[in-house]
Amino acid sequence: MKIRLFVVTIVAIAGGARLLGHHSFAAQYDSSKAIRLTGALTRVEWTNPHTYFYLDVKDEGGKVVSWGCEAGSPGALSRRGFKRGDLKIGDTIVIDGYRAKDGSHLVDARRVTLSDGRIVSGASSGDGGPQ
Amino acid sequence: MTHLFRLAGPAILATLSLTSDTAFGQGDRRLTAVDVKSATPRPTPRTANGRPDLSGYWKGTTDTKPGGNIGKDLPGWKLPLTPAGEAALQHNLTATVDPEALCIIGGIPRHNASGLPFEILQGANKVAFLYWYSYFRLIPIDPARKHSNDPDPSFFGEEIGRWEGDTLVVDSVGFKGEKVWIDENANPHSDALHVVERWTRPDADHIRVETVIEDPKFYTRPFTYSRTWVLGKADEELQEYSCSENNVNKDHLGFGPGPIRPDGTRGYVDPAPLPTPVPRSPAR
Repeated sequence: MKIRLFVVTIVAIAGGARLLGHHSFAAQYDSSKAIRLTGALTRVEWTNPHTYFYLDVKDEGGKVVSWGCEAGSPGALSRRGFKRGDLKIGDTIVIDGYRAKDGSHLVDARRVTLSDGRIVSGASSGDGGPQ
Repeated sequence: MTHLFRLAGPAILATLSLTSDTAFGQGDRRLTAVDVKSATPRPTPRTANGRPDLSGYWKGTTDTKPGGNIGKDLPGWKLPLTPAGEAALQHNLTATVDPEALCIIGGIPRHNASGLPFEILQGANKVAFLYWYSYFRLIPIDPARKHSNDPDPSFFGEEIGRWEGDTLVVDSVGFKGEKVWIDENANPHSDALHVVERWTRPDADHIRVETVIEDPKFYTRPFTYSRTWVLGKADEELQEYSCSENNVNKDHLGFGPGPIRPDGTRGYVDPAPLPTPVPRSPAR
């Protein structure tokens, strides 16, 4: 099982496309602020130049905060096998990424763990961000 | 751990191989320039008038280092900036958001330094370069045409093409001097920019450009930028891409490209690692 997980993860990360770096990762996100968000999916914007997933996430005080999670373009995600139909409102999603420099509730979703446990790359590769 | 790696190693290699060709399609492969070069290269296709046909869907390769840097062919990637050029660079770094991220046309030569694929459609007297973000440029091929006295400034400039043997030469002047970065690293160009591109297709699977960039306001001397792309598969082509459909970034982007690494690419040197991947539940 561990081996299988490892292989799946390698595929998700190393297989990421190098397409469509619409903007520099470093112009918007802080690579020192890695974060994991776990929450219920409330909205999906399968749009260009980036897709966005919105999660309701409980903070340490129990207050629910809506986080925006930026991922690659629909075309880039689709070529990785990450399709719009993989996301359903109400799904519990785990996002591993980096916080925006401006302190807003926006993250760059480098790794997405779907509700079925599948791990896919959300990275806008080619943007100079961590691979 | 060693035991684990022994078991997992072949699986990883096999999976990475699968990743390259199947799971993500060739569109996401990290190609090198020799990937599609055979012992006997396929001949350059030609049009009815005998010219090389540059038409095709062209993809960048990992041989282009550093990617996105117009100074990649210069020692230390050091551009020959004039004092005015240095001031313009500092302005770009500290007071401008990447124009391309604001859905402003990147223009030439920036598009030639981009990681994005592009497509060429060639006619007898005109050639079209089509780009992601739904941008294009139409270049007349006419050896008799001269540049205008006062062309309206544009991002691609006033472009004129001509054939020199099997080389398509594109000579461009009349560029905009505002809201432009010459590459992804925020290097500048002025409205005095003059670009000469020399395009060749040495065989069916490769296209190459040799570029001379001249900008006496911002650069002390002309410099060159050269690059080779490889031909995409027959079913690969540009797709619809509306840059301003949902540009959330425009309200969050900082000035400049962020830090530039010692290898000449944009990005952080030592990012914090992401959390350990979520273990996959046996029940799933």
